[in-house]
Amino acid sequence: MGASKWSERIFGTPLPDPVVIGSFLFPLLYLIAFLIIPVLVMLANAFVYNGRPSLFWFKSIFQSSYYFNPLHPQGSFVTTIEWGGKTVYYFSGLDFGVVVNSIIVSISVMILTTILGVTFAFVMARYDFPGKNIMRILLFVPLLVTPFVNVVVVKKMFLPNGLINWIFYQHLHLFPHPIWIDGLVGVVIAQSITYYPIVYLNAYASFINIDPTLEEQAENLGSRGFHLFRTVTFPLALPGITAGAILVGIFSLEDLAAPIVFQGSAIAKKLMSYQIYSSFVSGFAIGNPQMAALALVMLTIALIMFLLVRWYVGMRQYAMLSKGGRWKPRVAKPKGWQAIIIYLLVIPTLLLTIFPQIGVILLAFSQRWYGTWPEGFTLANMKALLTQPDIANVIRNSLMYSTAAIVIILLLSLTASYASGRFKKAKLAPVLDSLATIPIAVPGIVIAMSYFFFFSTVPPFKGTILDPTNLLAFFPGAALILAYSIRRLPFAARSISAGIQQVHVSLEESALNLGAGRWKALTSILIPLILLNLLGGAMLSFVYCMSETSVGITLGSINSTWYPITAKMRELIMGSVGSANLAAALGVFLMLVQIIAIVLANVITKQRYSFIGLT
Amino acid sequence: MVEVKLENIVKTFGETVALKGINLHIEHGELFTLLGPSGCGKSTTLRIIAGLDYPDSGTIYFGDEEVTYLPSHHRGAVLVFQNYALWPHMTVFDNIAYGLKIRKVPKEEIKRKVEWALDLVRLKGFEDRYPTQLSGGQQQRVAIARALVVEPKVLLLDEPLSNLDAKLRLEMRSEIRRIQRELGITVIYVTHDQEEAMAISDRIAVMNVGTVEQVGTPKEIYETPRTEFVASFMGKTNVIPAKVVERNGDKVTVEFENFRLDGLTYTGEKDNVVLVIRPERIKLKPGENTVALEGTVDLVEYYGFFVEVVGIFGETRMIARTISDREVANLKPTSPVKFYIDRDEIIVLPKQQL
Repeated sequence: MGASKWSERIFGTPLPDPVVIGSFLFPLLYLIAFLIIPVLVMLANAFVYNGRPSLFWFKSIFQSSYYFNPLHPQGSFVTTIEWGGKTVYYFSGLDFGVVVNSIIVSISVMILTTILGVTFAFVMARYDFPGKNIMRILLFVPLLVTPFVNVVVVKKMFLPNGLINWIFYQHLHLFPHPIWIDGLVGVVIAQSITYYPIVYLNAYASFINIDPTLEEQAENLGSRGFHLFRTVTFPLALPGITAGAILVGIFSLEDLAAPIVFQGSAIAKKLMSYQIYSSFVSGFAIGNPQMAALALVMLTIALIMFLLVRWYVGMRQYAMLSKGGRWKPRVAKPKGWQAIIIYLLVIPTLLLTIFPQIGVILLAFSQRWYGTWPEGFTLANMKALLTQPDIANVIRNSLMYSTAAIVIILLLSLTASYASGRFKKAKLAPVLDSLATIPIAVPGIVIAMSYFFFFSTVPPFKGTILDPTNLLAFFPGAALILAYSIRRLPFAARSISAGIQQVHVSLEESALNLGAGRWKALTSILIPLILLNLLGGAMLSFVYCMSETSVGITLGSINSTWYPITAKMRELIMGSVGSANLAAALGVFLMLVQIIAIVLANVITKQRYSFIGLT
Repeated sequence: MVEVKLENIVKTFGETVALKGINLHIEHGELFTLLGPSGCGKSTTLRIIAGLDYPDSGTIYFGDEEVTYLPSHHRGAVLVFQNYALWPHMTVFDNIAYGLKIRKVPKEEIKRKVEWALDLVRLKGFEDRYPTQLSGGQQQRVAIARALVVEPKVLLLDEPLSNLDAKLRLEMRSEIRRIQRELGITVIYVTHDQEEAMAISDRIAVMNVGTVEQVGTPKEIYETPRTEFVASFMGKTNVIPAKVVERNGDKVTVEFENFRLDGLTYTGEKDNVVLVIRPERIKLKPGENTVALEGTVDLVEYYGFFVEVVGIFGETRMIARTISDREVANLKPTSPVKFYIDRDEIIVLPKQQL
């Protein structure tokens, strides 16, 4: 038996071992088959016109003012209109064309979520004040994901007769006229409220992880107050904050829920995600290569953001430089004006941002909601979860798809994390590591689009149950399970690789050394030791599979028998009177699933819920 | 129990050459120590013997069998890790029984053997504890029992005492020696502590930047170091750069500062040499074959049963170690002093690039 140089170079071990090779190849081939190749197939479609390689479709986008009009924006950001006999400020946003609109919305959402997230995080990390524990619990609420229905509530909040005007116009008289937020501005507000917890969690973790002696040293040298924050605290927390903000930017780019809810205003449809989505649902344009090209533009922007932040955060690892161990974080009692800001500005803003989740519950337990508040208490919507066949059916479907996806996700993330974490010298290790995290930067609608092109044209899949053009046989569940397993992989992979990093490699080596093979060492030592991370990662991924939107409302909505929850919710919010209340009931169900999973994960793994992030 | 041979072992990590052609021959039933500063390659050598790393070239034999690329689990060279690597999710019993279960030893026999091993390391009654419930010394005993219970051909110990406090270190040192003698097993031991190496080993290999500088018994290594590195690494010693000015057969005359020492033994080629003089071989009274160095006292350090006198000779500082008596007690900084050294106690070695 001899050593082999190629095995050492590729797999990081000179003795080719089936467990090691399998751990590299299984996730690698899976990701190539169900992520890379589908995207490449779509790419190929986008670059072909009349059977020849061409940039036609890209030109058709960038030469059309509908898609690309950065210099002569249409419409007006805010106008005054008459509404029910009153003058109302109507905000809808300027139209710069689909591509530019998406970028502007994404950047605006990044800025707003950073302001909200960093403020809340700084207050929570650095101040001790009566009511802090309540604030801590309240900050948990916006983490709950309720597709579509939370945007429905946000839209209601910002109507002329909504909660915002009720407070600031009717009671506080701070506005000269009521405001009405709609269109792209509505999308920005809804996305900001939905996604700011991601920045909050990253910023909070960053503030908490700053070695207090660094700030104490600065104080010792004479730096105080805002100067201290600007020169020491903020720069040290910046990598974490940036990572959170960029993630939000990507989520904003791919979000479909807000544009769909605001589509009553035509300008809200002029976003890349919505355009691709609508080509899907309008059916006849389904294989439109122009949409493939648009999807590629979107993917490129998302990937650039993702790679930039990885590079930047990688460069600035100094935040983690301090020696390990727990320290007592620096908390202070807020001084006079600080307390005023906390109680009069920060906490009220927080209450407004958790109103969507409260609103979803109110909506679920009411018959109608026209004015400021919902009316007509009822349990009918919640009962329908169990009794109405089509509703119970989508719950069953989603549970089934998510469970199946979780099995695949666990296998993928375990093998990928094991291979890239334990055989770091292997040439394949960084490749695998990147591939396992990159799905975070691939918009769901891009995956849906890619799968459409891939499964309907590439031989082994064409004509099978995965082929969406094969209407009789197509089983959306199969495509959804594949899409979930790719899209939600990074969440579990992150938890599991963290677990593997915490287990010292000598624990496995001593098993090998005592006579165990790789397989035995894996199953008897490593897996039992990271069981909690496996469970935590599984629950997290499960929750996000259940609430997956983009693929669910496209590929998943082709056959109503096989709808996942989100496809049904989308149908309901666009449907007749009272059906939004039923969608809200499904939202409440999803919240319950999330609360149970997160509480369990916290009890089991004793970890904080700071699980969303790039780093 | 087996003899271990390493022939021309070379290992690189990226650009750095960790081992530059190691040759070692470790006998049956010997306690053999790899000694050297951190980064010298001693742990890498041990991991290569254990089969946890593989050399780029070279051959390893256990007896007559070549094992260079035999996977660790088929090799029977069991390593006790520096951090003990006890599995926190298993009890002491399960930790020790692990290797036996893999070898499909019948249950009854596993029980008997684990008991034997626990008895050997004097931990009877600790079967049901978890590693976190044990002290550092107890954890180490479990790690040793876990390795011994599978009856390894070779037992490998990687800095086994480095995580223990000073008192426990002495206790475990003799404990390891006792177990090794009791079982007559071949042990390869890695440490950076020269005192520990001398106390415990049958033979020592002193390593430096990927090469073996000298192999020998503790006495040979200490008394007749073959290189400047070995001489300076083995305890506190005086290393004085000097120049050979006259040769007469194997006798030479050397000069340093204004001193001229004749009648020293040296057969090397280089004229740039170092004089290695152990502090305890320097006397404050003349003897039969001694050379004398005149200087002044810089410092007197009192250690209880002995005293160290630091003298300055021109620019050169030398330490003499001597039993404290009245005469030494009178020495004060700046008082004149004479160091007497037996010519045979001065080791002349070629100057080394360190």
